[in-house]
Amino acid sequence: MIDFAIFAVTMIAIWSVLGISLHLQFGLTGLVNFGQVMPFAVGAYGAGFAAAHGLPIAAGIAIGALLTPLLGLLVIQPAGRLAQDYWALVTLGAGEIFRLTMLNVPAIAGGVEGTTVYRIADRSLAMLLALALLGAAALLARRIGRSPLGRILRVLREDETLGATLGRNPFALHRLVTVVSWTLAGLAGVLYAHVVGYLSPGAFTVGETFLIWTAVVLGGPASLPGVVLGTAVVELTAVSTRFVAQWSHLPFELTANLRLGTFGLVLVLVFLFRPDGLLREAKARSDADRR
Amino acid sequence: MLIAADIALSYGELHALRGVSIAAEPGRILGLVGPNGSGKSTLLNVLAGLQRPDNGNVTLDGRTIPPGLPHVAAQHGIGRTFQVPRLARRLTVLQNMLVGAPPPPGESLWHLLFRPRQVRRHERALHAAAMAMLHRIGLAHQADDYADALSGGQQKLLSMGMLLMGAPRALLLDEPAAGVNPALIARQIDLLRAVRAEGRIVVLVEHNMEMVADLCDRVVVLDAGEVIASGTPAEIRADHRVMRSYLGEPA
Ligand SMILES: Nc1ncnc2c1ncn2[C@@H]1O[C@H](COP(=O)(O)OP(=O)(O)O)[C@@H](O)[C@H]1O
Ligand SMILES: [Mg+2]
Repeated sequence: MIDFAIFAVTMIAIWSVLGISLHLQFGLTGLVNFGQVMPFAVGAYGAGFAAAHGLPIAAGIAIGALLTPLLGLLVIQPAGRLAQDYWALVTLGAGEIFRLTMLNVPAIAGGVEGTTVYRIADRSLAMLLALALLGAAALLARRIGRSPLGRILRVLREDETLGATLGRNPFALHRLVTVVSWTLAGLAGVLYAHVVGYLSPGAFTVGETFLIWTAVVLGGPASLPGVVLGTAVVELTAVSTRFVAQWSHLPFELTANLRLGTFGLVLVLVFLFRPDGLLREAKARSDADRR
Repeated sequence: MLIAADIALSYGELHALRGVSIAAEPGRILGLVGPNGSGKSTLLNVLAGLQRPDNGNVTLDGRTIPPGLPHVAAQHGIGRTFQVPRLARRLTVLQNMLVGAPPPPGESLWHLLFRPRQVRRHERALHAAAMAMLHRIGLAHQADDYADALSGGQQKLLSMGMLLMGAPRALLLDEPAAGVNPALIARQIDLLRAVRAEGRIVVLVEHNMEMVADLCDRVVVLDAGEVIASGTPAEIRADHRVMRSYLGEPA
């Protein structure tokens, strides 16, 4: 039971970092990214590549942490010219391209077979690392969210044209946010790889993106505590349905689909009854702002 | 001097602007009038870089403003408000005022992480300036309300306040008085007089002929995308062509 709790907390922390990454992009800035799993996968495959090629762990971390912002810059590039809705599709496509590449090019990290990665044997240590990463990500997001930078990002979210007529280049700000949030997601991916010890392309599907979106939309995209809360709820549900599957002897496929259906229902209900999510964006009051 | 020279712009078949030239002088308010659909808002869009004209160019104090880049036009000192106010609606009135100012150091991640004291100092000064401007436009008591909660007239005032926070060289105002109660219009008129006295350039699109006559030094009349008359407000009132095309109803 203790082992399960440690594992659950570790996973919630890692996925919360992904949620925070989406909070920065979507909740603060209004960028719709349907390929959120991509930077996570890139980070994880940085670790996978290092492991498959006998490179030290630090090399994997470096690859993951450097490649994600670079790919972020590449993927955000078309957004300068496209309407936002199309960018959502670009990110969706980019995520799939990356996954299919990992699937079909075994030289990178084992292809469909996947690859084993050094697994952190001490599970408490793994949990502490995950919590530390979550703490750092939350502090950074909080610093941005409460700052003039966060303020102008919210203006872009509300009205990009307004931001431009105020002399800000929306594209430059979108790029900045993408680099920061993708780096966070990439680091979460690296840690994920070393927590589970095994990587295969099946772990980074559109379904994962759907999971993060459900968590963020449920908790409240514009609220930092909301994002962590949403992730905790969704991740606990996801993990416990696996238990239910084992215990009830229902076929695995069925419970997986039930889970997906439940999340879909949650999304619909949130959109209908609580469009800002469980926790709303805190109002920036003038006295609080002055500090 | 803000100059638009020979601007042409069409939406497909529709010629919204055909060879329009205007010149707005510092310390003067240039009125831009004309019936609905005559191209006034489109012209302001071109001046502010929001739309790229098919022909013609814009210069401010002799410098050419690159077309179609609103943030660059703003950085050159051209600011505008919109007919339907554009505001960050889920931000407070005060926050809207704060982003009206030129980008503070705290909008750079580098400064946030490594120059926190400079960020804080700048923010304090910015807050004071924004509150002072809110007092000037009479919205100080609503500083912490969401912009969305303001009345239509107050939203127009807020837009004007945001614009003033940026202290642009040229202010383009798109129907600031439309749908605004007389008390708030009087406040706008005071603000615009002060702006003129500071030697800035103002282009005022407005249907309220009293306000135009009261404020404008010169008036340009647009009709179907063309300039059909220009002169002092009194000359324009006396111009029969203008009366026929535009006023239809007597002014
Ligand atoms: N985005 C657009 N697409 C097509 N036609 C437009 C668009 N915006 C404006 N128009 C047309 O261009 C003409 C000029 O519009 P506008 O500049 O808004 O006039 P005004 O501000 O003087 O009322 C009108 O006939 C209007 O219908
Ligand atoms: Mg108009």
